[in-house]
Amino acid sequence: MTTAVITGVGAASAFGIGTRALFAGLAEGRAAVAPIRGFDARTFPTRVAGEVPLFGDALLARLPPHDPTWDRDGRLRDRKVVFALLAAAEAWAHAGCGAAEHGAALSIALGLEQAFLDDFLPILGPSGFDWATEPSLALPRVRFRSTVGLAAAAVRELLALRGSTVVHASACAAGGLAVAHAASLVVRGAAEVVICGGSDSMINPLGIGGMSRVGAPSPRADDVDACRPFDRRRDGLAMGEGAAMFVVESETRARARGARPLARVLGWGSTQDAYRATAPRPDGASARRAMETALRRAKLTGADVGYVNAHGTGTHLNDPAEARAIRDAIGAHPAVSSIKGAIGHLMAASGAIELAACLLPFERDLLPGTAHHHDRDPAVELDVIGPEPRATRVDVVVSNSFGFGGQNVSVVLGRPT
Amino acid sequence: MSGAAVIGWALRTPLGTTVDDVVRRLLAGERTDGALAAAPLDGSRHARFLGPLGLLALETAHEAVATAGITGSERVGVFAAVGGLRVEWSELVPVLAAQRDDGTGAWAAGLDRIHPFWMLRHLSNNAHALLSADLGARGEGATFGGATAGAQAIASAIRALDAETIDAAVVLAYDTLRGPESLTDLDARGMLAIGPRAAPYDEASAGYVAGEATAAVVLVRDGSNVLARVTAASGADGSPGEPNPATIARVASRVVRRQDRLVVDGAARTVRAADHAERAALAPLVGDNAPLTAITAAMGALGAATSLVQLIAIGELLRRDRLPPIAGLARPSPGALRPIAVPEAADRRAALCISTGAPGLAAALRVEVSS
Repeated sequence: MTTAVITGVGAASAFGIGTRALFAGLAEGRAAVAPIRGFDARTFPTRVAGEVPLFGDALLARLPPHDPTWDRDGRLRDRKVVFALLAAAEAWAHAGCGAAEHGAALSIALGLEQAFLDDFLPILGPSGFDWATEPSLALPRVRFRSTVGLAAAAVRELLALRGSTVVHASACAAGGLAVAHAASLVVRGAAEVVICGGSDSMINPLGIGGMSRVGAPSPRADDVDACRPFDRRRDGLAMGEGAAMFVVESETRARARGARPLARVLGWGSTQDAYRATAPRPDGASARRAMETALRRAKLTGADVGYVNAHGTGTHLNDPAEARAIRDAIGAHPAVSSIKGAIGHLMAASGAIELAACLLPFERDLLPGTAHHHDRDPAVELDVIGPEPRATRVDVVVSNSFGFGGQNVSVVLGRPT
Repeated sequence: MSGAAVIGWALRTPLGTTVDDVVRRLLAGERTDGALAAAPLDGSRHARFLGPLGLLALETAHEAVATAGITGSERVGVFAAVGGLRVEWSELVPVLAAQRDDGTGAWAAGLDRIHPFWMLRHLSNNAHALLSADLGARGEGATFGGATAGAQAIASAIRALDAETIDAAVVLAYDTLRGPESLTDLDARGMLAIGPRAAPYDEASAGYVAGEATAAVVLVRDGSNVLARVTAASGADGSPGEPNPATIARVASRVVRRQDRLVVDGAARTVRAADHAERAALAPLVGDNAPLTAITAAMGALGAATSLVQLIAIGELLRRDRLPPIAGLARPSPGALRPIAVPEAADRRAALCISTGAPGLAAALRVEVSS
């Protein structure tokens, strides 16, 4: 029976560029949600976010050396494309990939392609958009900064990949689904190596504005502790941006080429609430089944789980429903935390960055804390780790991602043997 | 690769809103301007969350489910394919009207008036979520994005069926290339027809028409009343526009079986060099004289909806033992494969359906009907 393992990881988050920055921030119990710097958010109802702390040329300078034609279509102006490239390059190098891995498949989760205000303001006339206008920008035509496949294409070009490509668009569950999909390809023998993960950035006027109108972010506009997962005082999420990418391959292949497995991908489960577009099932039943399916596939039981990295958005609805699902599927014994208070909700990339965080227990015997969690909601009957990380050894970790519209995915990781 | 059995299907296309209409008009060689011939029924309770095309996709999916006779459960999964964000610009214009050129003060200058559900309406997985809720389908599923998302969704559904995590899969796809931002982009890449419209694989090919469609199929591992069987594959290269022909051949080789006798429904980029290269790349797989048709010549380019529309239309045509002409084909260009100029009897039971898109995306289906 083939076992899928993670042999490389790359990340970009509010803690900075690179997995080392992510691990350092989590290990030190820091939180990086801060006042928005990427645009003038002074008049917005939410003014904090988990931004990757580099902008413009300073961010682009972190890219690997590349041909100027990379940006022929303006793709590098979209932060999520740049994050995906940075994370993919790091994962590739970390895994020691080379010519033998160019046949790899790509399974990637991407955020909504988005219109950017400054693409369209120049052509906004008295009677609407004048689509025939030639804007005085570097780009020859008005267009989206990033179509849904652009980050995938950029990663393929960077790594010269020749395998299949799948682009996951399942909102907040997309990142977890992308990694689960990668593992399934490897286990079934459909791919030897898969580059997988997710990238997203909505920290711009339309993204922040749109989410603010939905009412999802915390109304405490300037509070850096806006997101308080599982806390009695929680009142909404904090937006974040970033990416995490992985190299997934068979354990046999990894060991044959001398690559060090970072974790085994033991199981995964995907379900649908089939309830509402705007709220999860209060009983957590479908979320519970996702975890149960993942454990069953891993040939494990709840008793084997030492840590759960929760979806933990800090909203009124998600946290108690997820808590109930964890108790029903796994039990009340495992340590539980959410990193969304520390780096924000990375939307389509959240499952991916949180799976990266799940490597910390195997690397350092350290479980990430839950930033800004001080007073557990009595309805959350779990062992929620407070702001400080917890030193302990675990061998099995579960990562949950529950997306808008009720899409659920759980991934089980095991300590490498 | 194993395939899945299709036990229900439905579509809404520029050529018609029933499978029968679409097939009849394909065989008659008719062409359209690419605009959908249907609008969603009024009064949908999901109108807060989906635009007209998404609502039409839900209707289409419900029709497919009804013909398949399945009901929702934990053993039914939904797999959705969306081309990408298609913003309702009419909703944004009044919001943006007061914006300053440098974007400062954007919230108070108009974003505070954006519809509260504007962001929710543009979540890529809304159709998936709402269809799942309508059906009570609580099994494994996902939403895929991009020009070849339809094939990705089919392939993912087949994997889930093979793994027996579900017993039935509802696959839906919808896309429009007719929004102003898409037309601008396609025009910039030289893909759109300018002046007199020629058919793909024609000496005078010089661009296609942008189309739009919704389609849905219900897949099971096997069963009675099987309409067709399907396998699917997708891939990509680093091309910023259409994929290289080698990519098309590589993806197609993942579904073609040894000794297959196939009719080909081509990608129909309707650009001479690209069409010629596609035919040359496929010939080693299907034979120099394989019959070649192109249903999107009749409907326009359909983006993420292409694979499902191909599956349904070509599947039904094979069931009727008929192959349609390439609509508008006047002077077939020389090269490998044999472009079909007039309707003919089908002397084979399987088809290879190719679709492509930017950036560098290619997809292939193998569709087979029983004798």
